[in-house]
Amino acid sequence: MTRKNKTKMNIHNLNLWYDKSQALYDITVPVLENKVTAIIGPSGCGKSTLIRCLNRMNDIIGKCRIEGSVMMDDIDIYGKKTDVVEVRKKVGMVFQKPNPFPKSIYENIAYGCRIAGVRSKKKLDEIVEHSLKEAFLWEEVADRLDESAMGLSGGQQQRLCIARALAIEPDVILMDEPCSALDPIATAKIEDLIRILVKNYTVVIVTHNMQQAARVSDYTAYMYLGKLIEYGKTKQIFENPNEESTENYITGRFG
Amino acid sequence: MESKFHEELDAIKGKVLDMGVLARQMLKESMVSLSTLDVKVADDVLAKKDKIMEMDETIEHRCIQAISLYQPMAVDVRSIAAYLKLTTYITRIGRYGKDIANVTKELADKPHNRKLASLNQMAKIVDDVIGTVLKAFEEVKEIDADALSEQDDNVDCIRFSIFRECLTYMMEDSKNITRCAHYIMVARYLERCADHACKMAEKINYMITGKRIEIR
Repeated sequence: MTRKNKTKMNIHNLNLWYDKSQALYDITVPVLENKVTAIIGPSGCGKSTLIRCLNRMNDIIGKCRIEGSVMMDDIDIYGKKTDVVEVRKKVGMVFQKPNPFPKSIYENIAYGCRIAGVRSKKKLDEIVEHSLKEAFLWEEVADRLDESAMGLSGGQQQRLCIARALAIEPDVILMDEPCSALDPIATAKIEDLIRILVKNYTVVIVTHNMQQAARVSDYTAYMYLGKLIEYGKTKQIFENPNEESTENYITGRFG
Repeated sequence: MESKFHEELDAIKGKVLDMGVLARQMLKESMVSLSTLDVKVADDVLAKKDKIMEMDETIEHRCIQAISLYQPMAVDVRSIAAYLKLTTYITRIGRYGKDIANVTKELADKPHNRKLASLNQMAKIVDDVIGTVLKAFEEVKEIDADALSEQDDNVDCIRFSIFRECLTYMMEDSKNITRCAHYIMVARYLERCADHACKMAEKINYMITGKRIEIR
């Protein structure tokens, strides 16, 4: 059972530098459990950088330095004793371009689970079916699980990537522009899927598409030049934002 | 650089304003026609009815087009929502002008049985209220809801006293009934126009601030 408006992740006074240039300034924002949080803002405002901080994807970038904290429940994501592999198991990610492994549909999902120690074929079958059903892909691929994932359409590939992320049972799913390479129909499917996933997961989505943020998210954070300008309920942000900068951005009066 | 969308938004706003000015003029002229029993002026008002309907349709069409083409947000979507509501209220005001012009034509065969002092006074306040609202809309300035509410109360009071007065005349002499019944109706139309103007004020304030108010 989930409590209402429980904070799943807490970003506190987060500063980030790529080498000498600072990309994030004192970001403090909560990620509420079983809610969709959208991060919006113009290109280069730091939204992708911020979302990548949530599962330490910035670790792989050299000369990237972080101050401040990101907590998930009681886990300090950047704690010295925290295992980054464990973090990424808890915080799954879906990227802009669908990036299935060049393997079968089945293997795309089973792979991560096998790495995580699941050996039983029966158990793997269950996970594959369950994940594909959760990502609303099962009916489209059930009879061709052994075919290459590369043969799927872009929208199907993206849902496969979501299914792959779900297979390891994360708590949080990060989506960095998940629909920007998809057509409107595939986009609508992913958006519907997000609304269903949020019943069981916590979702953070970065999007350039304001209407998409308005449609799928419960809370919205608006960023500009590495700073968090405004955070609030999505309905309020898009109907009546508090900050002029937010207003200018979402109404296209920017710059 | 003004975006194409914001140019369109400004253009629609101009249309709404034109429509408001026209409806206000219809109401004002209808009252002139009634006090002077001038059928020609009444006919001029009636001739504007179709224009109001046409503007209403054009604005609605352009608003819907703007929504579907640009998916507006924040103040932009509030503006379009306001335009759609305002045109409805404005149409109503224009149509009450038409109704009053029709009363003029009904009553034009005989002079008034007394001066229409209260009705004219009422019409003056209603015209002021509409003027205030349209000016605020044009200048995108928040409207003082309390001041407007006070004027609206005055309008209600005058309407009630006209009603009582007319009842007396009707009881005195049954020949007064037709005329006085029309006066009561006209007072009612004017009162409704003030109400519509207050609703317009609510929408305009919401458009500007994003906060809903109620003018009682």
